[in-house]
Amino acid sequence: MAQFPGRSPTSVAMRRIQAELNEWLLHPPEGCRLESFEPLLNWVILVQGPENSPAPGLPRLYDGELFRLAINFGDHYPLEPPEVLFVPPSPVHPHIYSNGHICLDILYDGRNGGWSPALTVNKIALSLRSMLASNTNKARPAGDMDYCQRTRGRSPKQTNWEFDDDKV
Amino acid sequence: MSQTGSQSPDRVSTISTWQQQPDNIVDGAESRPTVSVGEHSLASVGEAGPEQKSEQVTSERPTDEQILAQENQIKAEEAQRHSLIGGIEPLSALAKEYEAGSSVFVNKIKTVEASYRAIRRARGDGNCFFRSFVFAYMEQLVNLQDLPERNRVVTCIRQWEKKLVEAGFEQLVFEDPQMIIIDQLNSLGTLDPLKVSVLESNMLDAELANQVVMYFRMLTSAAIQLRADFFAPFIMGMTDEGLTVEQFRRRCVEPMGEESDHVHIVALTDALQVPVRVVYLDRSLNVMAGGFGGGDSSAQVNHHDFIPETAPSAATATAKPLIPRVHLLYRPGHYDILYPI
Repeated sequence: MAQFPGRSPTSVAMRRIQAELNEWLLHPPEGCRLESFEPLLNWVILVQGPENSPAPGLPRLYDGELFRLAINFGDHYPLEPPEVLFVPPSPVHPHIYSNGHICLDILYDGRNGGWSPALTVNKIALSLRSMLASNTNKARPAGDMDYCQRTRGRSPKQTNWEFDDDKV
Repeated sequence: MSQTGSQSPDRVSTISTWQQQPDNIVDGAESRPTVSVGEHSLASVGEAGPEQKSEQVTSERPTDEQILAQENQIKAEEAQRHSLIGGIEPLSALAKEYEAGSSVFVNKIKTVEASYRAIRRARGDGNCFFRSFVFAYMEQLVNLQDLPERNRVVTCIRQWEKKLVEAGFEQLVFEDPQMIIIDQLNSLGTLDPLKVSVLESNMLDAELANQVVMYFRMLTSAAIQLRADFFAPFIMGMTDEGLTVEQFRRRCVEPMGEESDHVHIVALTDALQVPVRVVYLDRSLNVMAGGFGGGDSSAQVNHHDFIPETAPSAATATAKPLIPRVHLLYRPGHYDILYPI
């Protein structure tokens, strides 16, 4: 009992992902739909552009748009964050690059990152929806083209991100 | 915070890396990746706005790959030097490290030797407090076959289930790690009880051991949340930024690898009702009371007992929780396990 012979590293990750999948199917976050979860380590989520505007009188920037979010879990999930990126075309947003890389601290671990194993895909999806819902400037980040060129073929987890505090 | 006293002159150095974050936030610009000046960005000079040109002048910053490679190398070197949890070593092994250096340390280690026979090291990966605490506590339960204490702590952990959910954690993020911990505890008193050798191998298994660390980080975070009014002023005062309780939990408690400070220790010892003694081994020459080591102030070693605040109803019945169950050695930025004589 105390030796856990059956619990290889991968099975820890798989059990957790399965638990998140069950929870998602029971209570999917608003405006999100799981398009695919096969294999279990690679999810694709359909994210609806929020219908509401960030404040009364402001335009609804993403109403009617639909985005695809790719979630790729690693063997060390949830100790390490999954790779999360939009499948291009990504939402036009000051923190989202046109290659789908997202500048949001909870998606990364390490020096500046804010990932913790207490987070779930459900919470990630909600954060991204709220990041879109609160945006007032439908524009790409500064240096978008340069960044996409430099990071071609690389995971966003290989970027050394810097984050503004609590501003989405 | 009555328990924490003021006996750790180096506590500032234990405040973890977020203290440096303000330096990393570039001129209040939109958040963005570090603009690295390497062959790639030079190739795009033609399109670069004024912002990027100025960075080329000012910066010899390493590229993202270099920074990440260096971070990984540091981690790998530490992993090679120390396993997640080491074997039991005599304190003389620790003294050897300082023979060429500070005589203050050597003298202080002699003082520690009067009360402690051995040390067990934890890897310096930012999780050393949690790892040392859990290992020392469980090892003691195993060695003493202390079933009443086992029963108490298993009940305590089960009672935290509801409080973790109240503090915002989904059941699915803590149920597996909680089961890993309770399964090990519950094997005590059965025909196949947990042995120290098995505990060692479980805590050397990165995935299992880190699940355990992860659970106690969540428990600590929940304990801080449930006494937010109590902790808020201490958390506020720890940095120039004046972190809120919520920010502190999210940045400094829940992520793996974030170092522990007094707030973490107070919260965890309270949550589990397990008293802890921390012995401070640092360069300072102390004249403060509360230490041990006799007249020579250069060899005096301070310690601090983190005594849980017992619930009012239990206060009369339990004089027992006042005796430290876990003894830790603190060197600036790092915790290891101590074994009393």
